[in-house]
Amino acid sequence: MTKSAWAWTWFAFLLALDIAIPWFVLTRVETVSGAFLFWTVWVAVAIISAFVIFRRWREVKR
Amino acid sequence: MSAAFWVWFGIAIYIAAGLAIAIMARRQLGAGVSEFFLANRKLGGFLSAMTYSATTYSAFMMIGLAGLTYFHGVGALGFELTYLCGMFMMVFFLPRFWLVGKKYGYVSPIELLSDRYQSKWVGATAAILALVFLVPYGAVQLMGVGYLMNGISQGVIPVVVGIIIAVVCAIAWSSIAGLRSVAWTDAFQAIIMITVSAAVLGVVVASLGGLGAFFSKLESAVPGLLTVPAATGAWNINMFIGLALPWLFFLISNPQVSQRLFIPKSVTAMKQMLGGFLIFGFIYTLISVLWGFSATLLVPGLENADLATPTLLALPIIPMGLAIIVMIGITAAAISTIDSILLTLSSVWARDIYKGLINPKVSERKELRVGQWVIPIMAIIAFGFAWWVAEQAGGVLELMIAPLSAAASAGLLMVVPTIFGAFFWKRATATGAIVSCIVGAIIVLLFQITGWKPLGWWPGVWGFVVCVPLFIIVSLATKPPREKAEEFIGYLRGALKKGRFI
Repeated sequence: MTKSAWAWTWFAFLLALDIAIPWFVLTRVETVSGAFLFWTVWVAVAIISAFVIFRRWREVKR
Repeated sequence: MSAAFWVWFGIAIYIAAGLAIAIMARRQLGAGVSEFFLANRKLGGFLSAMTYSATTYSAFMMIGLAGLTYFHGVGALGFELTYLCGMFMMVFFLPRFWLVGKKYGYVSPIELLSDRYQSKWVGATAAILALVFLVPYGAVQLMGVGYLMNGISQGVIPVVVGIIIAVVCAIAWSSIAGLRSVAWTDAFQAIIMITVSAAVLGVVVASLGGLGAFFSKLESAVPGLLTVPAATGAWNINMFIGLALPWLFFLISNPQVSQRLFIPKSVTAMKQMLGGFLIFGFIYTLISVLWGFSATLLVPGLENADLATPTLLALPIIPMGLAIIVMIGITAAAISTIDSILLTLSSVWARDIYKGLINPKVSERKELRVGQWVIPIMAIIAFGFAWWVAEQAGGVLELMIAPLSAAASAGLLMVVPTIFGAFFWKRATATGAIVSCIVGAIIVLLFQITGWKPLGWWPGVWGFVVCVPLFIIVSLATKPPREKAEEFIGYLRGALKKGRFI
């Protein structure tokens, strides 16, 4: 699989978690350590993933 | 002195500072269309990040999102963070937009589509969608400013006066030096937005005994708001997807933000823009949601979600000075979005409609003049719409901000398959793009106006479900611009490899 395909797959996996965890796993957890904490950590993972990818970018010589 | 006096004083300082910054930016203004609308593609990383942040985050955050949290709880955080997660797609789209923007000299993302599909009608369709859906979105920002100023001044400043102030500032910021004045004032406004909202949240949380005590009180007072679908049952999956889906693709569907992908001066500036925005967005989203939660504890029982922020700001625990600074911060968030919309719409009129359809041989000077004339005209139309909606709502917001913003994004979502096709699918055709955009937009408008939600799915979801297969099927049945597609995607393939982009 290409790097691009890996990145798209990872993104789709993150989106699947976005629905699956809060609605099917944490739906009865009525504390801050439930959906609130999940979404905060989840988006932090997405942001870090983006940083990991774009830190490799280099100036394009013409 | 009265509250109204201090509100006026705060507004005067804000306008004076913004004007001074815009006039300073004008000193760097060169000649030409690319200079006016894109700052000649030479913006540094910090300014790019700040203008992207201020354009994206509007009055919706501290009013609409806070109100949504106030009424329906943590699902609002998930919805807004889903948008931020969608920014992951910037690792694909930012270098692509930037590279082809530089190579082909595109001024607007709509021009990119016209050229890639070799059809001015693709551009015309995308332009009409932008005009139809961005005007209400801009109008929502104006309404937010009007109601906020009215609330903070305890009714002394009429709603319409607040709207007029926002319109005049937006026209000034975007007309004085085009994107240069917009970017500079955006940076100024982004700093105000995040610092004052953090400061006032700090005051509120401190009054509740600190962050730990604040969370404990939330868990004991409103536990049902800390889960989905929430005690109110509102955050069912349909509502979540209905709100989140249009926002997920906001980075490419909204031309006022995708146009910013053309402006960084270098790859380093691009990285700073993306990194800066992601950090800004993360912090600002958490602040807005915590703000909404603090309102549930301090001002429970409100009937109108959009009044949560003005009501919280009117509490005695918030010093009047801080409340006025927050009002300025939210006003800044709204105006920084409106001026960017005005500038983008003016570039769409000048480049994609006037030059693209009416007068292809127009001189650059005249094209620029057309764009400059369009700015106040579009502002007046948005003003008229805001006033009309405010009147329709009988003088109160009536939960208008979240649905109107969502409707605008849902409509613009219909151009997403066309944008994906432009970059990733050589077989994509102009007919496929036009048919999918038009049919999708009609579905969104019809469902939005009638309130019809078959299977409980929201208008944007229905529009998207129809327009994606339509785009594919019609494209397969019609003839693609093969030569252009090969050249466009072939160029990108080589350039992406050189920059180690994916």
